[in-house]
Amino acid sequence: MAGQANAAVKGLGFRERLVTPVLVVFVVMTLSWIAYNLAWRLENATLHRVVASVSGTLLFLSVVLGPLAVYCMAYFRGATLKERIGASLINPFLWATKECLRLCISFSLLESVYYYFNPLNVWLALGIAAEMALAEMICRQRRRSQGADIRVLQPIAVAALLISLSLVISLYLWGEGENVYAIFLEGYRVFFGPGTGVGVKL
Amino acid sequence: MRANRPQGVRKGTVAFRGSLPRSLITAFVAVWAGLFIPAIGTGESSGPSERPNILFILSDNFRWDCMGFMNHPFIKTPGLDRLAEEGIVFENAFNTTSLCSPSRASILTGTYARTHGVLNNHTPWTGQKPTFLEYLSKAGYDTAFIGKWHMPGKGLPDMPYLDLFVSYTYREGQGSYFNCPLIVNGRPEPSEKAYITEEMTRRAIEFIEQRSFGPEGAKRPFCIYLSHRTAHPPFHAPQGIAGMYAQEKVSLPKRVDSWFSRTNGNVFQGIMMGSYEDQYRKYCEVITAMDRDIRVLVDRVDELGFRDNTIIVYAGDNGMMWGEHRRHGIKYPNEESIRLALIVRCPWLVRDPGRRRSQMVLNVDFASTFLDLAGVTVPKEMEGQSFLRILEDPEAPGRKAWLLEYWKYFPENFPSYVGVRTDTHKYIEYEKTLEPELFDLTADPGELRNLHGTPAGQEILPDLKGMLEALKNGERM
Repeated sequence: MAGQANAAVKGLGFRERLVTPVLVVFVVMTLSWIAYNLAWRLENATLHRVVASVSGTLLFLSVVLGPLAVYCMAYFRGATLKERIGASLINPFLWATKECLRLCISFSLLESVYYYFNPLNVWLALGIAAEMALAEMICRQRRRSQGADIRVLQPIAVAALLISLSLVISLYLWGEGENVYAIFLEGYRVFFGPGTGVGVKL
Repeated sequence: MRANRPQGVRKGTVAFRGSLPRSLITAFVAVWAGLFIPAIGTGESSGPSERPNILFILSDNFRWDCMGFMNHPFIKTPGLDRLAEEGIVFENAFNTTSLCSPSRASILTGTYARTHGVLNNHTPWTGQKPTFLEYLSKAGYDTAFIGKWHMPGKGLPDMPYLDLFVSYTYREGQGSYFNCPLIVNGRPEPSEKAYITEEMTRRAIEFIEQRSFGPEGAKRPFCIYLSHRTAHPPFHAPQGIAGMYAQEKVSLPKRVDSWFSRTNGNVFQGIMMGSYEDQYRKYCEVITAMDRDIRVLVDRVDELGFRDNTIIVYAGDNGMMWGEHRRHGIKYPNEESIRLALIVRCPWLVRDPGRRRSQMVLNVDFASTFLDLAGVTVPKEMEGQSFLRILEDPEAPGRKAWLLEYWKYFPENFPSYVGVRTDTHKYIEYEKTLEPELFDLTADPGELRNLHGTPAGQEILPDLKGMLEALKNGERM
């Protein structure tokens, strides 16, 4: 599907097709994360607020909307569907991993791994599914406008968009996420009990 | 035992601080009057002729300075301001474990978390430690638990001694601000009022009204544990209050920014949507909404004629950090997190309403205080101390030091810790990752300079470590 659609750029190698799109977003995400976490050290309050606001916004966009950008870039560089999906997932996965590792400050590695299933990551995964479906439509529309004989609204993409988007919204509306969070905690207790730690000498 | 003791004895004891001869005579008369005519006082002030009623109002994550009378820049809390004016404000009230469920279990049982066993919000309540409500019920009180239970376990506990048990298990026991499904004496019931503090207040008033009518001889004292959801996130104030602080300027602590609500796991505090400033405004709005209902309740208590024989205690279960030290929430050993709001109105004991007390009191003290007030012998198992004496006497001695403890609570990313707080210092040891902390609270109330490892810290460390070990071994100071 994508290989045929992007015959013009078929000659691009793995690095150009996949690594570059992922790296572009990764660099934005990493730099904005570093800037945000350093901003509070600025003595000048106004400068602190400006740097924090800009880097915070960029960080949010790169994590949440990064997959959309990666998918589109990979599409026009001739990546296959599997490659596009894989590339879109890399940065959010790295971010989620960073968040899990953060928990090692207080918890065991296994507990930190369970953190992958937190509601925020569930939303992120659903959001990414919606973004990839949307990106597929955007890319196809773009190619169609360039004269390609291509169907814009593919049933599977439309279904993926509708299902994932409705799940994102309905899970949030269902108690503003509190209910999903409650399920997450219930799951934690099943695996780890109260999690106060074994042999903690306080 | 206090309330069973004839009033004259207590008043007479206080009178010793006046001119000696007159005091001696007063005390002499009072003792004899107390021995033979138990209900007669000295005439100095009119206390309740029967055992007093107890109205305990607990709020959630309530920061101690979020009240109008604390010179907050914009929040309006006329109800709490009035209580403060008519009662006593405790400036140094603390929780012993800064997390909802352990703190609530400490309040109910009068014991530290290591004793009652509810170590964090995942550890089940076993019911093995009796609550002060149970003791009061046995002593002839009508007892009601109304509001947030929020302790882990299968549903709500079996507490047959309660005359009324209104609570909820909805959303991990956190409930919801609007139309929260209730469980009333074991049976599901919808809320009559849409807003949760309004509904809980209505239930409390109904309980009190039922006790105000009927034959005089049949009346029993009551104790109400009214536990509000406010101010737990996500913050939703009712119509008329929602948005009232939208235009207020919020000054965030230095080093904190508008994105802070979405970083460092803070979204799991229910503050994902909107800026950090917006979240704080909404936090203040739900407090104002609760305050409105507290005012209604206090008015009704007074209208029904219970003013002079009802102690009203308002407290928070934890404090709340709003960006200080780049921290948000309740789990930290910092002052903003462990300090409680505590106001007590007790007209017959308080001689200087509107004043403050600086002695340190704890969440584990409530149970002993209520039993003391009701004239029930405080069981040895209770680890708190009654603060009635401090209520009466601004110069009464307070405790020297106390034990602060916290067990990690997934997914709140902060390690377990244990520490000691004195009037002047705080020393904290962490289970892992973080270095110990030692602060001189007199010179550095903002806890900005960790003295651990410094010459000044080395000087005081042995004392603090000694106190910590003693407290861990159950000693009280």
